[in-house]
Amino acid sequence: MANNTEYVPEKFEVDRLELLDCSKLHFYRDDAGFISLKYEDQEYFNVRLTRLMPFYSATTYISVAYDNEENEFKEIGVIKDMKELSEEQYQLVDEYLEYKYFMPEITKVYSIKDNSRGFIFVDIDTTAGRKTICIRDWYSNFRMLSDKYLYANDVDGNKYCCSDINKLDKKSLAVLEIYI
Amino acid sequence: MDDFVFSLPFNLYNKADKVDGHICVTHDDIFVYIGSEIKESFPIKAYEEYACEQLVGCSMMVGRHDDTDDKCICSFTQDNFIAFAELCKLLNHYLTTGMFIEKSDIDEPKCPKCGLPLDGYTECPYCASKVKVFMKIFKRIGPYKKAFGIAILCTIITEIIEVIKPYINRYIIDDYVIPVQDGTISSGDVNMSGFALLCGFLFITVIITTILDRINLKNSYYVSLNLGQDLRQDVFDKTLDLSMSSVSKKTAGELISRVSNDANKIQSFITDNGKNAIVRILSLVIVAVILFVMNWRLALMVILPLPFVAILVKKIGDIMHKYFSRSWRFSNAHSRLLHDTLNGIRVVKSCGTEKAEAERYEKASGNWAKAATKAEVVWNLLNPISDFVLVIGNYFVVFFGAKMVLGQMPQWGSMTLGELTQFTSYVSMLYTPLRWLIQLPKSIADVSVSASKVFEILEEQTDVRDSSDCVDLDIKGDIEFNHVYFGYKVYNPVLKDISCKLEKGKMYGIVGHSGVGKSTMINLILRLYDVTQGEIKIDGVNIKDISQQSLRSQVGVVLQETYLFEGSVLDNITYAKPDATFEEVVEAAKVAHAHEFITKLPDGYNTRVGSKGYTLSGGERQRVAIARAILHDPKIIILDEATASLDTETERQIQEGLNELCKGRTTIAIAHRLSTLSHADQLIVLNKGRLAEMGTHDELMRNKGVYYSLVMAQRQTTKMKKTPTSTPTTASQPV
Repeated sequence: MANNTEYVPEKFEVDRLELLDCSKLHFYRDDAGFISLKYEDQEYFNVRLTRLMPFYSATTYISVAYDNEENEFKEIGVIKDMKELSEEQYQLVDEYLEYKYFMPEITKVYSIKDNSRGFIFVDIDTTAGRKTICIRDWYSNFRMLSDKYLYANDVDGNKYCCSDINKLDKKSLAVLEIYI
Repeated sequence: MDDFVFSLPFNLYNKADKVDGHICVTHDDIFVYIGSEIKESFPIKAYEEYACEQLVGCSMMVGRHDDTDDKCICSFTQDNFIAFAELCKLLNHYLTTGMFIEKSDIDEPKCPKCGLPLDGYTECPYCASKVKVFMKIFKRIGPYKKAFGIAILCTIITEIIEVIKPYINRYIIDDYVIPVQDGTISSGDVNMSGFALLCGFLFITVIITTILDRINLKNSYYVSLNLGQDLRQDVFDKTLDLSMSSVSKKTAGELISRVSNDANKIQSFITDNGKNAIVRILSLVIVAVILFVMNWRLALMVILPLPFVAILVKKIGDIMHKYFSRSWRFSNAHSRLLHDTLNGIRVVKSCGTEKAEAERYEKASGNWAKAATKAEVVWNLLNPISDFVLVIGNYFVVFFGAKMVLGQMPQWGSMTLGELTQFTSYVSMLYTPLRWLIQLPKSIADVSVSASKVFEILEEQTDVRDSSDCVDLDIKGDIEFNHVYFGYKVYNPVLKDISCKLEKGKMYGIVGHSGVGKSTMINLILRLYDVTQGEIKIDGVNIKDISQQSLRSQVGVVLQETYLFEGSVLDNITYAKPDATFEEVVEAAKVAHAHEFITKLPDGYNTRVGSKGYTLSGGERQRVAIARAILHDPKIIILDEATASLDTETERQIQEGLNELCKGRTTIAIAHRLSTLSHADQLIVLNKGRLAEMGTHDELMRNKGVYYSLVMAQRQTTKMKKTPTSTPTTASQPV
């Protein structure tokens, strides 16, 4: 190598958390029923909105991503708090997320029957109506994710939650006590 | 309007609002109804493909063009997923063949009785006829019927002797227990020879029952242990015979549990209940008859509390099940935490989180202790109650029996003290089978689940099986894929319309993005799965017509994660050819560049590799695996990322071994590092499950197709997204 050449260290681009400027985001529902986005003169079709902490926060830290032509995951950025969106945009995003993460909230627990073979049948009132759900392998599929967050996943794969069991009535808590 | 061929309800719309929607399919069109209003309609052919996409809390049916979602047709809760997936499969079948399968089992198979999903079982394990299941268990006693018969005979004789004992006691009490008259006993009043005879008789019964018990135990254990061993062996053999798709449906833990726990449970059930069932029912009947014959009024007092006890025991069982489950759950959480922390002890120490971990452990341990204490307290509170209710009749028997002995109940007849003692002895004898009988439904429920699960495996028809006229083929190495379609789930094809010919003795590389179906192609060549559509031929013979043993014995596989069995290096190399001579083993090890490191090991070829080969490094394990493959002398070699996890120097050494191994054999290799495959005779490029292109490295680079972009993308990645520096430079140094 010639002596007069000077070594210049290479600069590497590192992926960083890109918090999106909510005022520049324009989501819209396209004809196909998917959510698309116009952001900084770019248009992204069928964007993927993901709650990064689905169990703890429904409206903060929402990842906005899309699949490029090579089907590779590309993240546009993260919405720190949906409150920063305009009312109309908030509603659109919230509507989509509520649909994607369809998870009725448990509001009352009437009874839990155990068939002694790993299944329990839980009679509950939810925000989507009253239902008796059957839970297989309940040790893993009916459990507390934190001190107050109850999560249930039934045999069909439907998910239910109770974000704060302490808000349930006393009778529901008494029914739940033995299982959590 | 054309008649509907299919109609499926969907239940979500917009902001996950519940709706009463229907997807209705005619011979040409699809209609989306909300209530009775048609929301939209379009021809089936409007999309290239239909698919179900699982979201987090719900799923949607989509129409696709060029593997990209183009239209969300409807959405639904997860319970409808299988039905919609089946609908998509039928629509896709129509799109490719123009034919409609009008009859389809569109619903997920569910148990008609309890409604729970069958989950791959042919019969619901919880509703299967218990009689049928138990007949299957008892049929297995067949080979040991002689020992079983002896055990039953011994138990019956013992029970009869036990029934006679109180009778002798009665005579001893009535005839030889004499009230003291004036403070003196005259020896002449006592018939000593009669007394000695009765005592001698009692002594003989003790000796006989001891001998019979010993014979009984020996034969019972012989039957139950052999039965358990037979069951475990059969389940293990059958598990090895199952196809990969059947095995993949069950976790390793589940299979281990079936081989050991479930088989053990059946074994214990037979030991505890098999012969006891016959004997206890027999003794229950005999003792009950004796009691009623002796005094039916007192006998009724014993029997009357039973219905209440049965109800009570069931209630207590339900309550205790919850408490013990809770305790089991906390104990499980405690073990998990312990396992987790000790496995990750280096991380704990390096992060300095010992205190936090200790607190977590204290909490978990405390929860377990609390739950276990509560369960024990409740059990010790409830169990004596049920036992008291069960034996309460005995108190009445003693009370009224004593009155009869004293002559205070003349209307009930009279009774001697010996008769009362005999009666109460029989009552005690009655409680043993009664307690057993009350617990029986619980034991039966418990074991029938295990038995159904064990027989489910034993009777499962493996879906990849040899045809009756399959042949043992001496493979040369030509492989042909002919319009092959395959999906692990039929409605979700991984490989689509793959057609290609692989000539013997050449090396082929399979490349493509992750999840594109590279390993699946290999699985199909090994016939771990059967193709959904199309055929694979080896030397012109359909792979389904070649016996699996013959096929797999001529295919060698080296995987990225080598699995070494517990044993020595020698055991592991000779695994695929146990009859190999030691010279052949060393020869294979030399070719695989393994001989050098093996000779440096303290025990040479006899060095134990430990569980999963943990005493060896990754490169050493890989070399042992290559030596194993070389010794196996296969006609077709499969290398699935064989060198991916190794450093460059080790890879170079192993590559040399691999080159030796592949000489003159058909070789199919998968590698993420495309440079590893650049010397392959042909490259098969997969894209979105289809064969995108095939050719040599140079040809494909010239074509500038999928392979070209893969190579370019990899070069780009290697450069780690370099960006030009803003510093002005006079010259830059090449890297």
